[in-house]
Amino acid sequence: ATLCFQAFLQMCNLPIRVVCRANAEYMSPSGKLPFIHVGNQVVSELGPIVQFVKAKGHSLSDGLDEVQKAEMKAYMELVNNMLLTAELYLQWCDDVTVEEITHPRYGSPYPWPLNRILSYQKQWEVRRKMKAIGWAGKTLQQVLEDVDQCCQALSQRLGTQPYFFNKQPTELDALVFGHLFTILTTQLTTDELSEKVKHYSNLTAFCRRIEQQYFEGNDKESSSTAAARSAKKSLLR
Amino acid sequence: MAAPMELSCWGGGWGLPSVHPESLTVMAYAKFSGAPLAVNTINNSWRASKGDVPVLISEDTVISQPAKILNFLRKQKYNADYELSAKQGADTLAYIALLEERLLPSLLHTFWVDAENYCSVTKPWFASRIAFPLSLYLPGKMSREALNRILLTRGGPPFCSLTEVEAQIYRDAKECLNLLSKRLGTSQFFFGDTPTTLDAFVFGFLAPIYKVCFPRVHLQEHLKQLPNLCRFCDDILTCYFRLTASG
Repeated sequence: ATLCFQAFLQMCNLPIRVVCRANAEYMSPSGKLPFIHVGNQVVSELGPIVQFVKAKGHSLSDGLDEVQKAEMKAYMELVNNMLLTAELYLQWCDDVTVEEITHPRYGSPYPWPLNRILSYQKQWEVRRKMKAIGWAGKTLQQVLEDVDQCCQALSQRLGTQPYFFNKQPTELDALVFGHLFTILTTQLTTDELSEKVKHYSNLTAFCRRIEQQYFEGNDKESSSTAAARSAKKSLLR
Repeated sequence: MAAPMELSCWGGGWGLPSVHPESLTVMAYAKFSGAPLAVNTINNSWRASKGDVPVLISEDTVISQPAKILNFLRKQKYNADYELSAKQGADTLAYIALLEERLLPSLLHTFWVDAENYCSVTKPWFASRIAFPLSLYLPGKMSREALNRILLTRGGPPFCSLTEVEAQIYRDAKECLNLLSKRLGTSQFFFGDTPTTLDAFVFGFLAPIYKVCFPRVHLQEHLKQLPNLCRFCDDILTCYFRLTASG
């Protein structure tokens, strides 16, 4: 999600500095990451941040007509509904991934036993949510099929265009880039998730294009992204 | 010739073949695609206690959840989306996600969480269709599950109280209705002249809001200000369910 954000702000041509903090979730007004700190205002989550940025006079979707805006919002919900939920499922409900990757990573800033307690607490919260929306009964295979269906829809919508709404990027492009790039570059116990995305060549080309256009030049300036990027590798390799 | 398929679902009222959004979605899809379904409305619900309604039974196969039922019907060659392009198929998925994320919480709230609506309309209606003693327990369970779902998906900071969550979910629902209205425009259905999966889902979610008479109706009032969506629901009721628009 952090990447969706950075991409969105880069697309608006707004300079940002990324800082990693262990207690970031507690600093955020909504408990969710990422959040931005501008002057004496703190705003979290992509929706409110887009509104905040729009109120300051920057918007990526002004050129869209009403029907296109409706479509953009629908596709953003599709990404939240399917991709985000699938990512959460994989991180917190797939036992192998939870043991080998999530628990160590989530608990890493804290000493024992706090690391285990906090990460079990988070796992319990996520599993409750999955149960409420009907995902608790799904197998990993079914979740991967849902991801495939979502990627297929995104791929069909994107077609051969450079961005979802042709020549200019919008919030949707930032959101999709953030999620797909994370899936493609984060190491998990299995490659099945990233293989689903790689199956759609226009989506990988889309990610590469945005990475090159909006992130390449900023690598030297932002040393604090190095920590975030150490777990990720560039798509170009 | 396929053996007749049986659909178990919640019954109707207020001029609707069913008051339950998921059941209504499946019934509408079956009408659009010409699938022969024998509809059984529930009046004793051991099955419903597992949250399985609507349920399709075909020979030995039992399928629950609207998306899976619709997939099954498509595999049986009852496909309402036959003429859609790949992009329109993708749009269908996206708009269904919009309905589930933005409209469903307030629909659940209107039926199951708003105290006045629940006590005066929802609970008596469902309890009258559930066998004793389950009727004492099941509506309460469905209400708690609805509240749980709303709070887990939309609650949490910065909302400190249920009132704030409620205000947000109704704002989102009104925005969703506005977006659907803009997307529909002056067309009869969302993709031209023939109804598809998306029309079934939109109808399933909108018709209960439109027709069921609750004491607290702000969502219904907002919907009535979008005449093309009202016309959309009325057309489907008259053409496919042979019920009068006035109910």
